[in-house]
Amino acid sequence: MNSKEYKYTSEHEWICPESKNKGKVGLADYAQSQLGDIVFLDLPAPGTKVEQGKKMGEVESVKAVSDIFAPASGQVLEINQTVVDEPGLVNKDPYGAGWLVRLELSEPSELNALMDSEKYEKFVAELSEQESE
Amino acid sequence: MMKLVKKTPLNKVHHELRARMTDFAGWQLPVWYTSILEEHRAVRSGAGMFDVSDMGRVWITGRKSGVFLDRLLTRRARRLEVGSSQLCLLCLEDGGILDDLWAYRVGTDRYLIVWNAGDIEQKLGWLQRWAGSEADIVIQDKSADTVMVAVQGPAVCQLQNLKDVSHLPRFGHTQTRIEGVEVLAARTGYTGEDGFEIIADTANALQLWESFMKQGLKPCGLAARDSLRLEAGMLLYGQDMDKSTNPFEAGLGWLVEMDNRDFIGKSALLEIKRQGLKRKHVGFQMIGQGIARSGYKIVRCGQGVGTVTSGGYAPTLDVNIGFGYVPIELATIGTDIEIMIRNKPVAAKVVSRQFYKRGAQNEL
Repeated sequence: MNSKEYKYTSEHEWICPESKNKGKVGLADYAQSQLGDIVFLDLPAPGTKVEQGKKMGEVESVKAVSDIFAPASGQVLEINQTVVDEPGLVNKDPYGAGWLVRLELSEPSELNALMDSEKYEKFVAELSEQESE
Repeated sequence: MMKLVKKTPLNKVHHELRARMTDFAGWQLPVWYTSILEEHRAVRSGAGMFDVSDMGRVWITGRKSGVFLDRLLTRRARRLEVGSSQLCLLCLEDGGILDDLWAYRVGTDRYLIVWNAGDIEQKLGWLQRWAGSEADIVIQDKSADTVMVAVQGPAVCQLQNLKDVSHLPRFGHTQTRIEGVEVLAARTGYTGEDGFEIIADTANALQLWESFMKQGLKPCGLAARDSLRLEAGMLLYGQDMDKSTNPFEAGLGWLVEMDNRDFIGKSALLEIKRQGLKRKHVGFQMIGQGIARSGYKIVRCGQGVGTVTSGGYAPTLDVNIGFGYVPIELATIGTDIEIMIRNKPVAAKVVSRQFYKRGAQNEL
C-alpha cells in the first residue's frame, strides 16, 4: 500500500505531490510487472515542458516498448540519473528508488482528475481479472 | 474465422508456474516465468529448460528417404552418419528460403526433421508434392504426439539425469531413457551454449519436465530463447530470413552444398551467385542510446538503406544489438549506420553477427 498522497493515471504512471507545487513521477508496480525487465529509459531533459496525458518519454523492457505519459502538466525539474543508469530499479522499487522525474506543476488542480490509491487498486484488480480470463 | 491457438502438452505446467503467456506462430507459449534477464543468465552461467514443442517434428522413412531429402535440402542428408545431425535449409525453386531445419539421421533409411512452428501445412504440402506417390518415402508429422524440451547451459552435463548422454558428441543423438521415459536426446540447441534437445511421447511430457525441475533447472520462456539466439548470432526464420531471401544474402551460404549434386533451388542459387549479392544480413551494435527492434529502418546520411530484422538488449554483453539487411557496400564490419528509433536516427555500427561466443572473451 502506498501513502494516500500518490495519484495514478489509467496508463499506470504515479505522481506523488511534494511541497510548493512539485511532484515526483514514476511507473506503477502493475506497469513494471507487465513490461518485465526494464533495460532502457528515455526521459525528458530538465526544463522540458510536459502536458498532462501527453507522451513525455519511453520505457523499454527486453521484450516491449511503451510510452510514458505525463500525469500532470508542468516543467521537468530533475530526472533520476540513477534510474537512467540502472533501469532495473523500476522493477525493484517502482514507488521508491525507481522514480523517474520531478515536475514543477503548472496546474496542480489537474491532480484531482487522477485516481487515488484506493480507486487505482480497484482499477488494477479489474485489469488483472480480465487478464486471467 | 476464429483464431485457434494450439497448446503444447506442457501448457498446464506453464500456467501453474505462473508464466506470462503469449501467442507465437499459432501456439500459446510462455514468454517468461520470473524474469527474462534471470532466465537468460541461467542459461549462460548454469542451465535452463525450455518447452520447444511448438517446433515441428516430422519423420521421413523408407528406402528412398535419403535420396528424397538430398533433393530437398541444401546439404546432403545421406552424408550424415546414423546418430548425427546437421542444420540445413529448405529452398524453393527460385532459391528463396522456405525454412531452416535440423535433419537427424536416426537410422539408415530413417530421418527426423525438426523445423519452425510457422507455415506447417505449406511445408508439409511442399514435402508431399516432391514425394509424390512414391511408396518408399513415408512422411509422418508426429508433432502432436510428441513433446520437445530443450535443456541448455554450460552445466547440463553435470545433471544427474543426463549422465548417460554426456558422452554424445556435438550434434550427436541417441535413443535412450531419462528416468524411465523413452526419449530421443540430441546434443543440439538454439542458445549458443552446450545442451540437449529431448523428444518424448506426449504421454510422458509431464514426467520428463518434472525430472528436470527436480534437478533445479530454471524454466525459461520465449523471450530468453530470442535474446539467447540473437546474442549467439543465430537467425530466426520469418524475421531474419523468409521466402524472399536467398541463403547467400542471409549469410547462410555455408549451409549450401553446391558441388556434384542437384537439389531444388540449385540452378536459381547458381544464377544468384553469378550475379553477385546486392544486400547482406549483418550484425550491428548500437552506439547511441536506444534499442533497435525488428522492422525499424536502417539509414545512412538521411537515406533509407535497409531494415532491422531482429534487435534487442544483449544481457551477457550489456549492449544493444541487432541484425538487418544492408546494401552489400555497407556490409563491411566497422561501417557506420543509423537506426531510426521513433523518428530519430541513432548511431550504430556494423559488427560480426556472432556477438557472443561460448568461452570467448566476449567484448564488442
